[in-house]
Amino acid sequence: MRLFWSFARQSFQSRAMYRFDFWMEIISVFFSIYAVYWIWNTLFAQSPGSFEISLAQMTTYAVLGMAMETIFLPWIGPQVYISEQMKHGLLEMDLMKPVDFQFHLFARNAGETFFRFFLLFIPTLLVSAYFFDFKLPATFLDGAYFLVSVFFAYMILFGLNFLMGMISIVTINIESISWAYQGVLRFLSGQVVPLWMFPASIAGVLAVLPFQSIYYVPISLYIGELQGVDAVRAIAIQAVWVVVLMGLGRFVWSRIYSKMMVQGG
Amino acid sequence: MMIKVENLVKEYKLQNRKEGLKGTIANLFNPSFTVKRAVDDLSFEIKEGELVGYIGPNGAGKSTSIKMLTGILTPTSGTVEVNGIVPYKNRKANAQHIGVVFGQKTQLWWDVPVIDSLVLLKDIYKISDAQYKKNLNLFNDLLELHEFQNTPVRQLSLGQRMRADLAAALLHNPRMLYLDEPTIGVDIVAKEKLRNFIKEINQDQKITVILTTHDMGDIEKLCNRMMIIDHGKMIYDGNVDQIRRTFGMERMLVVEFEEELADFEVPNTKHIRSEGKRKWFQFHRLQTTPSEIITAISSRYSIVDLEVVEPEIEEMVRNIYNGELVSEEVSEG
Repeated sequence: MRLFWSFARQSFQSRAMYRFDFWMEIISVFFSIYAVYWIWNTLFAQSPGSFEISLAQMTTYAVLGMAMETIFLPWIGPQVYISEQMKHGLLEMDLMKPVDFQFHLFARNAGETFFRFFLLFIPTLLVSAYFFDFKLPATFLDGAYFLVSVFFAYMILFGLNFLMGMISIVTINIESISWAYQGVLRFLSGQVVPLWMFPASIAGVLAVLPFQSIYYVPISLYIGELQGVDAVRAIAIQAVWVVVLMGLGRFVWSRIYSKMMVQGG
Repeated sequence: MMIKVENLVKEYKLQNRKEGLKGTIANLFNPSFTVKRAVDDLSFEIKEGELVGYIGPNGAGKSTSIKMLTGILTPTSGTVEVNGIVPYKNRKANAQHIGVVFGQKTQLWWDVPVIDSLVLLKDIYKISDAQYKKNLNLFNDLLELHEFQNTPVRQLSLGQRMRADLAAALLHNPRMLYLDEPTIGVDIVAKEKLRNFIKEINQDQKITVILTTHDMGDIEKLCNRMMIIDHGKMIYDGNVDQIRRTFGMERMLVVEFEEELADFEVPNTKHIRSEGKRKWFQFHRLQTTPSEIITAISSRYSIVDLEVVEPEIEEMVRNIYNGELVSEEVSEG
């Protein structure tokens, strides 16, 4: 736990050092939000009746999808750290520390994400509420579901990213796979287009994949699209994915680790 | 006993890559391997508080054996024990009481100021506030850490980075310190500082040190014991003075003349080579002295410059390995 705070504090300090980056990031998020906001406004103006939800719900969905990228940012994940350490031959330096490897990476990433939640995500939402009709959740329960769900979504994303990191240990370079992975993630997670707009066959496949748990589930809970039993079930499925992916990550790591122990790093 | 290594063996399985399409398919279905023995039946013991120089040519098996001592590599056979712990079976427990500095690698985080890395290490090793403060003061005194503690690691000079890495390795008061080429690429002044620091913590805190280096100066200044390995085998384990006495007899005098000269002989020396206006003479420490040689030469030719070259550690190792310089004293230790 101390390690987690330590990484959060360090993120804060390095963020303070790279102030320019910080502002650039804020600006680029607002560009994305502005773009999706107008796309949905235009679409609704063209054919108001063809969407299942209201314009306000839709723009809130779209804004939230973009804003969440400030905490689910692809290039701060454990896979980036692992592949950097691999490239410089530094992974063994991490192994010489008296901490569990997966936990170390989790603390590192969670610390930074925690920092981003308060300094990027929340301010982005506040500004969006003012300029882009971003609405508060309809009920207190929707908001509470959302927070729990975002936490699980983060854990799922970490689990997937950690597995990507494991791939980078084997292949050393993950840049090409990484692009494909980011694309798949953005599309299949429902970050940009809500999953209920997909054809039923694709939506059926997505339902058994972990990706929708990352963006689609928390955002749908927020706008009240998932209610009651559906909401609880979606969160339960998230929890299962957390356990499965974390466990799988541990398993794969232990295999790779024992191979490294025999064959050298 | 701090370290106990018995009959340590490490073999790597290397896949033979066959060329061409047929070869690639053959590799997939019927891979063939060669076994490379990187460490071959190594046995030694190191007492608490010793400062041991660990040398050998590149690829001799130094890093492989250090990796087994630090617990990130499993031996093929044999036993390793560090402070009562088997490192590869208990990596985390072992990590808690060892410190590591690898000259070519850093354990500090690249993008953040040195002090931030140290704060993180404080939490990783669960170091108490008091101990952290005390050690930081010590590093300020001896390594002048405060001069660059707020600079990100990527902006440090090599000497500073090495000092910062030493601080990082010692922050948790390890009982055992592994130094792998800690002075590589560092200028003379900084090198001297690093050596003094290593000496000091070894003497004051009784930290056991294994020092891998190619720099004979490091060994001479710091170590009383030296282990030499080659092809994974221990070929010398003993005291440093003795190896100098035994193997450091051959020295070299390099003389630069005013003009290019034909080769000539000087009593008690061996003319090794000539290059332009310079000539190399090898001599034995007991047979003659540099001043005798200089007198003999300068009576006939005018000398512009000269230099006495001490034998290189690599050369000594090569000589020892080739069996040219084996003496009965070697068996000690």
